[in-house]
Amino acid sequence: MDNATTVIKGITPATVDLRGLVKRFGKDVVAVDHVDLFIERGELLTLLGPSGCGKTTILRLIAGLERPTEGQILIDDDDVSRLPAYLRDITMVFQSYALFPHMNVFENVAYGVRVANRPKEEIQERVAEALAMVGLQDFAQRATNALSGGQQQRVALARALVIRPRVLLFDEPLSNLDAKLRKRVREDIRELQQRLGITSVYVTHDQEEALAISDRVVVMHEGVIEQIGSPHDLYTRPASRFVADFIGSANFIPGQFDGQVIDVLGYRRRHEQDITPGAVTVMVRPEALEFAREGESGFEATYLSSAYLGPVTEFIFDVSGVEVFATISGSGISNAERGDTVLLRFKDVGVSLLPPG
Amino acid sequence: MSTNTTSHPSSTGMGLRYSGAWLPAAIAAAGFLALPFGRPGRPFLTIDPDLYAWAIGHPLLWFVLVGALAALVISLLKLPTAPRGDLLIGAGTVGLGAGVLWFLLTATPFGMGALVAFAGLALVIGHALSESGRVQGDAFIATSILVVSLFVLLFIIYPLFMVMRSAVVVDGAFDLSQFRRTITHPLFFFLENPRSQIDEVGLTMRWGVVVGLVSAAWALFRRRSLPLVLARLVLGGIVGLVIGAMMYGRGALPTSLLTVAIVAPACTLLGLAFALLGQRSSFRPVRRSLDVISVLPIITPPFILAFAMIFLLGRRGIITHGLFDLSVNWIYGIPGVAIAQILAFTPIAYLLLRGSIASLNPALEEAAQTLGAGPWTTLKTITWPLVRPGLAAAFLLSMIESLADFGNPIILGGDRNFLATEVYLSLTGRYNPNEAASYGVVLLALVLLAFFVQRWWLGGGSFVTVTGKPSSGALAPIPRAVEVALTAVLLVWTVFVAALYASIVVGSFAQLWGVNYTFTIRHYQDFMRAGWPVFLYTARVAAISAVPAMLLGFLVAYLVSRHRFWGRRFVEFGSLLSFATPGTVMGVAYIFAFNTGPWLLTASATIIILALVFRNMPVAIRAAVAGLAQIDPSLEEASTMLRARSFTTLRRVLFPLLVNTLVTGLIFAFVSAMTAVSQVIFLVSPGNQLATVLLLGWVEQGQLGRAAAMGTILIVSMLLTILVVLALAQRISARVVRVES
Ligand SMILES: Nc1ncnc2c1ncn2[C@@H]1O[C@H](COP(=O)(O)OP(=O)(O)OP(=O)(O)O)[C@@H](O)[C@H]1O
Ligand SMILES: [Mg+2]
Repeated sequence: MDNATTVIKGITPATVDLRGLVKRFGKDVVAVDHVDLFIERGELLTLLGPSGCGKTTILRLIAGLERPTEGQILIDDDDVSRLPAYLRDITMVFQSYALFPHMNVFENVAYGVRVANRPKEEIQERVAEALAMVGLQDFAQRATNALSGGQQQRVALARALVIRPRVLLFDEPLSNLDAKLRKRVREDIRELQQRLGITSVYVTHDQEEALAISDRVVVMHEGVIEQIGSPHDLYTRPASRFVADFIGSANFIPGQFDGQVIDVLGYRRRHEQDITPGAVTVMVRPEALEFAREGESGFEATYLSSAYLGPVTEFIFDVSGVEVFATISGSGISNAERGDTVLLRFKDVGVSLLPPG
Repeated sequence: MSTNTTSHPSSTGMGLRYSGAWLPAAIAAAGFLALPFGRPGRPFLTIDPDLYAWAIGHPLLWFVLVGALAALVISLLKLPTAPRGDLLIGAGTVGLGAGVLWFLLTATPFGMGALVAFAGLALVIGHALSESGRVQGDAFIATSILVVSLFVLLFIIYPLFMVMRSAVVVDGAFDLSQFRRTITHPLFFFLENPRSQIDEVGLTMRWGVVVGLVSAAWALFRRRSLPLVLARLVLGGIVGLVIGAMMYGRGALPTSLLTVAIVAPACTLLGLAFALLGQRSSFRPVRRSLDVISVLPIITPPFILAFAMIFLLGRRGIITHGLFDLSVNWIYGIPGVAIAQILAFTPIAYLLLRGSIASLNPALEEAAQTLGAGPWTTLKTITWPLVRPGLAAAFLLSMIESLADFGNPIILGGDRNFLATEVYLSLTGRYNPNEAASYGVVLLALVLLAFFVQRWWLGGGSFVTVTGKPSSGALAPIPRAVEVALTAVLLVWTVFVAALYASIVVGSFAQLWGVNYTFTIRHYQDFMRAGWPVFLYTARVAAISAVPAMLLGFLVAYLVSRHRFWGRRFVEFGSLLSFATPGTVMGVAYIFAFNTGPWLLTASATIIILALVFRNMPVAIRAAVAGLAQIDPSLEEASTMLRARSFTTLRRVLFPLLVNTLVTGLIFAFVSAMTAVSQVIFLVSPGNQLATVLLLGWVEQGQLGRAAAMGTILIVSMLLTILVVLALAQRISARVVRVES
């Protein structure tokens, strides 16, 4: 996507408002369970969660490919819950790209303009514009199965953009690409999305991908929203064990909090967080642990094992019955033996409190 | 509302400014006003001023106009889309309901005006169902769902209901006596024949006792519990009684059942043998010849082999008389009918079983053997469960075909009468509609019973998906001895069938079969004079019926496999019924349903076309379901997401990808319409004669020469049609696919 100056005229991004959205399949499957969500104009919001948590279903509900069992979907304050998909000014990029096999690249991209019965010149112009935007000007006459996975992905994107949607939906658009390409294409998508300022909802189960491209991330679990926040918020202040575990990895150590100071096995440390004082679970990222130096306070941990990984070493400790993982830079205690006792302390960031349990 | 320069002219960003229902509403109103609402008799296009709605002036009729005009006004109002849809549903339903009610009350045959008005109002409701959000999908989908459901109701469920009603309603009152009289009549069933030497009842009893005791003994031998042994005793006794009754009893019921009991297992076994050969034979010509065998029943009217058997095995048959100098009658009766049916239906069983044999993965059998299973255990635990659905389907289909078969028993039945022929004879020979309906109900009950037993045995599964995917692994060869035996069977079969077909061709050029074999084209001259116009008429009717059959089949397949909607089960069930119902039953059903009242359609080309459409729709459904299964649904969703309506999606995405399937479906619908007989024989009328019916008539009258000429022409022309059109389809789809590579 080298042509950074092309911008599609006429895209007017919309807001999306989901209110009390429920989707049941049959009697037993509740795919989406009372979801409330407001998506700002022009933001890229990611739905993140394990397989089967209802991400795709939410996307299809917004698109109009499924009907909600309960609740409303508003686009720019219009209730579209009962509006058929083709009237919603929304479009979607599919996981499988869904390129039409009997049409070449040009025809695929032209499809949306063609079915709207626009004049020939306009079709030519808009397809050229969209192809330029994704850097595929020279591929117009190619058959779609003569393209690489990344190129197919970009054709799918151009095909979606050409109709100037007010909301753009992505269902795991990168899952068919290899790891290296995935990183590049996701940067391209993010760059294009910001340039066009188009409201986008992006589904993935890859947490790194979610953190890298989103304005905000919604973490879902079994049809329910666990937490909404910026990537930074989610990582540093997860609202539940599930979120902490799903985004990055985390240790959960029981402790006490009096409103200002955390106490873990006698190790006391100042902390600011709005949470009911008393017994708490201390969430510590593995990289937020370090060895207490001479004279510093800390809590006792029993060394179990370690693995040297070059820049860091991965340790496993036992802290009063809880297994704790730590990634600590430098070799640290290379000569420790299983069962040795060490003193650990928290770093400044990467510690957060959760309700006990 | 933000300005959106690119959306459709009719939408304001989100939603529709006016409803698409305005056009059908206007058409409904115009049709109501400009065309006669009723018609005086059969012809459609007569314009009788007295039958205009405003001339009739019945208050109910004004509601039709009010409904249409209200729908027109509402659809142009500036209202939010969904509530406007609800209002439109109301207006459309009032109009349609009032009109239908009026017809039900007055029993006037419907006219063009009613047709246009009702079609318009149905379209209004379809649009409204979509716009109100009550059906998920656009106006096209909603209308299609509505129309397809109405068709199933009107042309499948309603006629069948009328048959059942006619069996038990006499002169407008519920009365079982007629039905009882029919099934106690000797034509239906009787056991003790006072004029015969043997004691039929006693023999039947003996069968009951013997089979009961044997099955109880077997249960004892397997050390079953006492209640189970007793149950086996009773069950075996009943089975024995049934066997005895079939063997010694006379009348249509035991005759048909005995024929089925011979034909269904024979077809299934032969079909299995051929499927094994076709998939695993080491000899290529064997596999090729099976491809030919599988096409034969499609291009041949079902009774043509019975007719040919007269040539070969009849009193003047070339084998019986010519070779052995016999003058025998044995082919008339159950043996002849059974042989003709086995020859006709084995290829159908073969087609069904080919899929299951192809899906047998040899790796599975090898895997079982490496896990320590012996050949017998492997057969029982791996092979059998995999072939079982195919065998059951083949058995069921042979059963249905045999029960429903009309042409073979009529030609070769001799002094035995069959259920399917009795339906016809009681209606057209004895002029007893009630009796015909009763036979129809029995036939229908037997077929449905077979269906549900099969379902129960297989535990669900859809009739559309009994085909299997071929596996890619190397095929295990069949044991040498078995292969030789099967090939011998196939050889005998092929020679016999070839001789039958050849005898028709030869017979068409021979002066007088069995007497004078000098060459003549006399029969073709006769055919040109008496048969050619009928042949052309048949081709026209078949062609006209093939297009809607294919489109409707495709639509049903598309709706059922791609959409969730209320009534989906009903549509599936309806198409299943039209597939399972014997043609003769559907034939009388159409007579009962469309002979009077608003639905006066009999004695017209229309009713023949309708019958053919709904008869052949299931074939198209199967083909389309198989084709759709190959296409990723996200292609259609992608099209929807690009704001294409579903009709555009069908036209631009599904149609091009399915050209081949559709053309094949079309051609099979055409060919089977050309060769159908059992249903349409009830519906032909002077001026609306069909080729197969005429052919059958000639055979019955003994005009074998010209019948052979017509048979030859029919078979050759169907074969050519299939070859040409399939080659064409290949070319078209090659062009579509070329873009891909
Ligand atoms: N058409 C359907 N019929 C029945 N159940 C469905 C249907 N579609 C989805 N489900 C169920 O709804 C739940 C949510 O499915 P969904 O596809 O939204 O998950 P997802 O979060 O996108 O998962 P993945 O990451 O695997 O794509 C699952 O339990 C799924 O089995
Ligand atoms: Mg998904």
